[in-house]
Amino acid sequence: MNSTKNITGSLSPAGLKLRDNCQISVNPAVLETQYATDLMIDISGTKPQIRRGKNGEFYIPLAEEEFLKIVPELSEKGFVLISLFCVQDFEESPCFTLFYIFRLNGSTDVFAFMRYVKTETTSIATLFPSACWYEREIRDGFGIEFTDAFDKRRLFLHEVYPEGFHPLLKSFKNGKIQAVENPEEAYPFKQVGGEGVYQIPVGPVHAGIIEPGHFRFSVIGEPIFNLEIRLFYKHRGIEKLAEGKKTSACVPIAEAISGDETVANTVAFCTAVEKIAGIEVPERANYLRGILLELERIYSHMGDLSGMITDIGFPRMTTPFLILRENIFRQNELLTGSRFMRGAIDLGGVKKEISGEALSKLNLYLKTFVLQFESAIEAVHASSSLIDRFSTTGVLKKKLIAPLNITGPIARAAGATYDVRFDHPYGIYEDITPERAIKTAGDVLSRFEVKAAEVINSTSLIKKLIASIPEGAIISETIEFAISNIPDGYVLSMVEAARGQNLHWIYIRRGVIDRYKVRTASFCNWQAVEHAVLGNIVPDFPLINKSLNLSYAGTDL
Amino acid sequence: MVNPLTYFFRPKVTEKFEFSDSELEALGSELKTEVNKVFGHSLAIRELDSGSDNSTEIEISNLGAPHYDVERFGISFVASPRHADVLLVTGAVTLNMAEAVLKTYEAMPSPKFVVAVGDDACDGGIYKGSYAVLGGVDKILPVDIKIPGNPPSPKEILRGIFALVKNKENEN
Repeated sequence: MNSTKNITGSLSPAGLKLRDNCQISVNPAVLETQYATDLMIDISGTKPQIRRGKNGEFYIPLAEEEFLKIVPELSEKGFVLISLFCVQDFEESPCFTLFYIFRLNGSTDVFAFMRYVKTETTSIATLFPSACWYEREIRDGFGIEFTDAFDKRRLFLHEVYPEGFHPLLKSFKNGKIQAVENPEEAYPFKQVGGEGVYQIPVGPVHAGIIEPGHFRFSVIGEPIFNLEIRLFYKHRGIEKLAEGKKTSACVPIAEAISGDETVANTVAFCTAVEKIAGIEVPERANYLRGILLELERIYSHMGDLSGMITDIGFPRMTTPFLILRENIFRQNELLTGSRFMRGAIDLGGVKKEISGEALSKLNLYLKTFVLQFESAIEAVHASSSLIDRFSTTGVLKKKLIAPLNITGPIARAAGATYDVRFDHPYGIYEDITPERAIKTAGDVLSRFEVKAAEVINSTSLIKKLIASIPEGAIISETIEFAISNIPDGYVLSMVEAARGQNLHWIYIRRGVIDRYKVRTASFCNWQAVEHAVLGNIVPDFPLINKSLNLSYAGTDL
Repeated sequence: MVNPLTYFFRPKVTEKFEFSDSELEALGSELKTEVNKVFGHSLAIRELDSGSDNSTEIEISNLGAPHYDVERFGISFVASPRHADVLLVTGAVTLNMAEAVLKTYEAMPSPKFVVAVGDDACDGGIYKGSYAVLGGVDKILPVDIKIPGNPPSPKEILRGIFALVKNKENEN
């Protein structure tokens, strides 16, 4: 393992190992941006201008020819595309700026390459497959055509949206639009032909109490030959809603991105604003945020664990998980007044104090919780028929993880180590980190075991935090002044939500939000399901899907 | 070789779940009485997400968890709208879901009732004014009862369902 923790947040790791084994040595004494400059020279032979963002990320504006030259190099060197988004009228530049966000395995650094485009540009999806959805998203949002893209279908604007409508353009003022009545055009699903191949369309409305999405299976007999998913039925226009709003008015919007990632997304949003405004979060608030973040991970994972067992019909083993999960919801309510911890996190810290007494009660409860949880897990391990259904089902191959930027427990169950809490630490994770849980088989069983281990690790971390939490303020004293005098600026912030890496990018202009880009882990992880189900039988699809636990709301925005 | 008969005659193993919520029990037994009277002993509910943030779905599915276990009260969640008396709708009805919402409602046999669950389903909530949503569920379906909350707790949802049943009884 070559991951390096960047403790100071300002200096780069001393030795950075690239995939082709070329070693770039970095002298800690050189300027912060020097390291990135060296890297760029090594990659492309050019020396671009580099700026360091307020959260440590590098911004590298590139001319078109430089960009085209650098992309194959980045692919060659094993850079991972973690996001791609568009901003209109960014700073002084007219038209559109595309931000290609990359990270490099084993490095704590994040690189944002900026490309300036008008209404047309070229696709990078053949080199970076995960770019496909992002490019389609940008086409829908801004009307920019990626002329050589292999997939130019709409993404979040379904057929009811009129042709030529692009909601993220500044010229569009948010409000009611005239939807197309009885749209004639149907979405062109990929056609799979051949003898004995037939299609099973499922959704958007499913049989259970779950969110809407469409699955198009092409099957030969029972085994799945191809799966194509179509999402964005829940597109609510979150990014546009944030535009022009004061930062404090956006906290509830961040909470509504995905209900069971309330704390994670709110912490990511608040961290971004705090970085721009230069707000120091009090230590106690960082501890409390850590406790709530880990509680959220626990109840989310508990839902997956029980769901996986339910989907293969073992109610007797499901119930202990459901009971424990409900108990965690009740703990959440005792601590914050909300079962989903809504309204708990605020700019500059946390909204309400959680007393020492409440924390020691939580500590006491967690002792019982762990005992009961371990006995529930033991029952699962004792059932050979259950293990038989889980094992070797829905394998996610490790080689897909980097090209699709798959993160979170599902990637850690397939041998990846990446975890934002370790690789780009934020808040309390700069000082205290949980144990890591890593498996390599990449099947449903590994995902079950990684999530079960993470539940235990989260409880241990909460106990550690409770044991060492300092007294003091829970919200920055200068918060109101800092927020009302927030300077113009932009920043990238990342958190490890229960599902993986959530990324928020905020651009503040004249005191209000000019652009809010959210990319939750599910947006990338959804593409894992299309691969993990191949060759599996249709009745195993619900199990595989549950084990990947993807948020529709967090993807559709 | 294990004698298969031992499986039948050995004691049935289960665990004790010590939990009681007198408020819930009282609400449940009242609900059961009403469901027996108004809906002929069983109330079939179909849940439909028209664009929520997923927390309301989680609370609705929690109704089936051991702390609540609402099947005891004559309520069941069914897989198809064709089997449903009541449609629980969550979310502000996105443009992308509007057609599916209508089709689901049309697939239900009459008499049928609609309950809007959560702030966004009641009036659009936080998404009010967004190009991507219609507003509350009542913009597209006749809503019989609204259950506000961000999200409403399982007990609040159950109280809402009780209010619906009670209203229907008074109408009859």
